[in-house]
Amino acid sequence: MTTILVVEDEPEIRRFLRSSLSAEGFRVVESPNARRGAIDAGTHRPDLAIVDLALPDYDGRELIRQIRAWSPMPIVVLSARHQEHTKVEALDAGADDYITKPFGVGELLARVRVALRHAARSPAGQVLKLGQAQVDLERRRATRAGADVHLTPIEFRLLGALAKHLGMVVTHRQLLAEVWGPTQVGQTHYLRVYMKQLRDKLEDDSVRPRYLVTETGVGYRLLADEA
Amino acid sequence: MKGYAWAAGATALCTAAGLAMRGRFDLVNIAMVYLLAVVIIALRYSRGPAIVTAVLCVGAFDFIFVPPAGTFTVDDVQYLLTFAIMLAVALIISRLTESVRQRASAQARLEVAAETERIRSVLLASISHDLRTPLAVMCGASSSLAERGERLSPAERQALAQSVFEQARDMSEQVAKVLEMTRLETGALELQRDWDSIGEIAGSALARLRERLAAHRVIVELPEDLPLVRVDAALIEQALANLLENAARHTPPGTLVRLRASAAGSELVVSVEDHGPGLPEGDVERVFAKFNHGTEGTAGGVGLGLAICRAIVRLHGGRAWAEQLPGGGTAFRFSLPLEPQPELPAEVATGPAA
Repeated sequence: MTTILVVEDEPEIRRFLRSSLSAEGFRVVESPNARRGAIDAGTHRPDLAIVDLALPDYDGRELIRQIRAWSPMPIVVLSARHQEHTKVEALDAGADDYITKPFGVGELLARVRVALRHAARSPAGQVLKLGQAQVDLERRRATRAGADVHLTPIEFRLLGALAKHLGMVVTHRQLLAEVWGPTQVGQTHYLRVYMKQLRDKLEDDSVRPRYLVTETGVGYRLLADEA
Repeated sequence: MKGYAWAAGATALCTAAGLAMRGRFDLVNIAMVYLLAVVIIALRYSRGPAIVTAVLCVGAFDFIFVPPAGTFTVDDVQYLLTFAIMLAVALIISRLTESVRQRASAQARLEVAAETERIRSVLLASISHDLRTPLAVMCGASSSLAERGERLSPAERQALAQSVFEQARDMSEQVAKVLEMTRLETGALELQRDWDSIGEIAGSALARLRERLAAHRVIVELPEDLPLVRVDAALIEQALANLLENAARHTPPGTLVRLRASAAGSELVVSVEDHGPGLPEGDVERVFAKFNHGTEGTAGGVGLGLAICRAIVRLHGGRAWAEQLPGGGTAFRFSLPLEPQPELPAEVATGPAA
């Protein structure tokens, strides 16, 4: 049975998380604060952790660092609105994804499933199906509506960096470090330009992208059709 | 400091005037010129400069004009009275001015407090109006579910739960707006500026409002070569989303809404144009003011959307305004200052061979 650790101090929020996660067949372990969360993460060995960033004893980001020190378990962060900065820090500290309060259960379950699937999947070569477009990252081939599409080496690398976290958010910093190198993490404008090029080549409507999604103030998320 | 400089300046000026008057006017009239200087300085500045002016004027008058000239000796005792009067005038006028000033600033403080109070009460009225309905729905629907859920059909339970969800989401939006406005107004906000493209921001704003704009026809017109802007993307997305939401709220379903952007000189202008009923005369100016619900006032919402938009844009050094469109309808626009564009590395130089 898949176990999910919920670290959240508000009992009412824990209650609805517990009932909706249990209804989906997950075993739920609840911790009311970060200290307890760190212990429960060690003893229950959950498959995934949901961590509220505003905890009473110490910061959720610190808890994420502690868990990351010994475990690759997927971590989904609950954060307040208007805290892009905090979200980015949590993600850079090792969280895999976030969801902004208030959220619907459907949205949360989708995030949880993507994160669990990602943890189980081997990162072997994949063919991305993005609507009319297909990208074979290993063979470096892209097509759209059957016709070849030329992607530059950087465009391939950017797509690859996003595909590694398929369905999950990747911060600007993470993308820049992976594609342009760790000295270039401040050059957000590279991302703006290359994401536009990728969207122009792969999306049907590059202003309203379906697959290369902007997470404003945080980063990007690559979605793909089920293969 | 400025007051003391003026004290010296005024004395010099009076002395020059007095020298020009000498011979044709009585000494008493020259003393009057000095007295005028004392009065002016006392009115304009605080007590310190006024006293200094009085002393300087008395000294200059005595030294230059009162016989024996060239000394501070006074032949006639009556000039001592002149000195005393000048000093007294300086003290009295500066005290009067001081108290008038204090009263004026107290008055101004009172007015600010009254304005704050007015805003607060409008805000409270508007919040309670806009939140009462969703709260009533939520109380009613959720209590039905909690107390007699088992007697309801699954479809009814589903409908009640759905309406609780929708009302709660709406309410959360409105509360967020009030908080946002407070955050913007108290200056408790630090811009997280970074290079961003209006195209991306527009895409996110449109995605956020997909449901609200589902019944409208939205056309996006962005030039290919739109320059990047250095902005707090989350805030600008909010500003643009508020304009789009405003269009969704105040125009009938099926209305054409055009989102466009263009670079003009040193700024980039973003517009949301709707071909709806348009604004009544006068509203074009008022529409961005706080708590303006539009004249019909029935469309709901805390009425902060456009005020938040303007506050965000102003923080970025831009402007927000509304215009009547010639063919009917309204354009809501904001501008953002453009900066020199950042450089991009040539891909061949950084990427590995294909």
